[in-house]
Amino acid sequence: MTISAGTFIRLTLLVLIGVVLQLAVVSQLMFFDSNADLAPLIVLSVGLLAGPVAGSITGFAAGFVVDMSLVQTVGLSSLLLTGVGYLAGRYRELRDASNSLVPPVGAALATLAFSAAFSVTQFLLGVESSVSPLLIRDFLVEALLNTLLAIPVFAVVRAILRPSLVEPNRPRRRSPLSGVRITTSS
Amino acid sequence: MYKKSVRRRRAVLAVLVGLSIALLTAYFGESASGGLHAVQRGFMEALAPLQEGASRALKPASDFGGWFGDVFDAKSDNKKLKAENERLRAELAASQTAQREASELRALVGLNRSDGFPNGYRRVAARVIGRSPTVWYSTITINQGSSDGVRSDQPVVTGDGLVGKVSAVSSNAAQVTLITDHTSGVSGEVVPDGASGLVKARVGDPSDLLLDFVQKGRPVAKGATVVTAGWRSSRLESLFPRAIPIGKVTRVDSTERELYQRVHLKPFADLRGIDIVQVLVGSQAAPGTERAQVVP
Repeated sequence: MTISAGTFIRLTLLVLIGVVLQLAVVSQLMFFDSNADLAPLIVLSVGLLAGPVAGSITGFAAGFVVDMSLVQTVGLSSLLLTGVGYLAGRYRELRDASNSLVPPVGAALATLAFSAAFSVTQFLLGVESSVSPLLIRDFLVEALLNTLLAIPVFAVVRAILRPSLVEPNRPRRRSPLSGVRITTSS
Repeated sequence: MYKKSVRRRRAVLAVLVGLSIALLTAYFGESASGGLHAVQRGFMEALAPLQEGASRALKPASDFGGWFGDVFDAKSDNKKLKAENERLRAELAASQTAQREASELRALVGLNRSDGFPNGYRRVAARVIGRSPTVWYSTITINQGSSDGVRSDQPVVTGDGLVGKVSAVSSNAAQVTLITDHTSGVSGEVVPDGASGLVKARVGDPSDLLLDFVQKGRPVAKGATVVTAGWRSSRLESLFPRAIPIGKVTRVDSTERELYQRVHLKPFADLRGIDIVQVLVGSQAAPGTERAQVVP
């Protein structure tokens, strides 16, 4: 995907709206003391739809906005989400990413990997408090919630990026006479 | 062509990873008044109106989602609360009697002091407009900032008890680090037993705090209340005033090999479901002293 000015604006708005929704609404919806995290979902979706370059740039930008708006360690979320976006984009290049199971399975894996990597870096940076084993339950609940949200988030991101995608999934219509499927082309 | 695209992809990744590491290093290297911290405060200020708007507009949806979790909790809480209510009623009667006696005794010795927490503070009510999504950063964003008198390190409470302290301020918003954050440390005291220690978080479990460094042999009863100790020395004074309720003792761990007991508490304030908080503003440190916090 070529990152034009239009695509850049769309990705910027997507990241900003996603982060504001995450902080103001999604983080306040608790299920079993955990909540969904939209940032890895958005980055994963962009990577799967637009490839590793757009995925990693979106990951970096989303992480930067999250770290800045939450007044937390700057650069940490950027580093990890860059990896999520890049790997999702590489998957798109190497395997068939059009399967409908890819977003939910990818969301579960990306969320678990992001949470685990975030925790490891926190330990490396130094944690003085004790850590409860319930942290693992939080990871699993978060991954489950993100899996459930993956399909709608993927659909929203695809709708936003559709004009920029090289091979958009254009709706196919059936010929009224022959019943033969006709794919519209630009 | 393919090689060019591979080189471009790898170059972008290398630049972004390098930039992230540079940001991390710069952030750790600078003080709280440094450039990146200032940009963070700017971000918070710019996003606060958007967050507040989104939070207000989507409050019904957020409440609806929260309702499911509350229904599960309400049934189990009901029995416990009834039992606690009976116990508290008995304690209230005893405490009112003791209070009357104490005020009579104070009048006798000429002391003029009013009880209740916290004295000398003005309370600024604020709405929670944002919350950190990760368990590693237990923070909330509130819709009151420096223009309302809110400053860094001021204590934040709800009607139930201590919530945390203000950690960053912009003109229209502030960030509060909760007592469940791994960087938080509050001096606490068990009442009425008097054992004291440091209240720390347990990452991953917001309903379990730890009162650490309690001397072995000091009696700590299950169900006892832990309040802020509000210590003061010749040069330093605690950020948190004395007697703000923190939580209730749920269990005590003590092994022969350890020097201290580890007391587990359940915080009084519902830290995962707070909508409104109060910032305690206005009180100055005593002359010749500075405010300080014990770090875990």
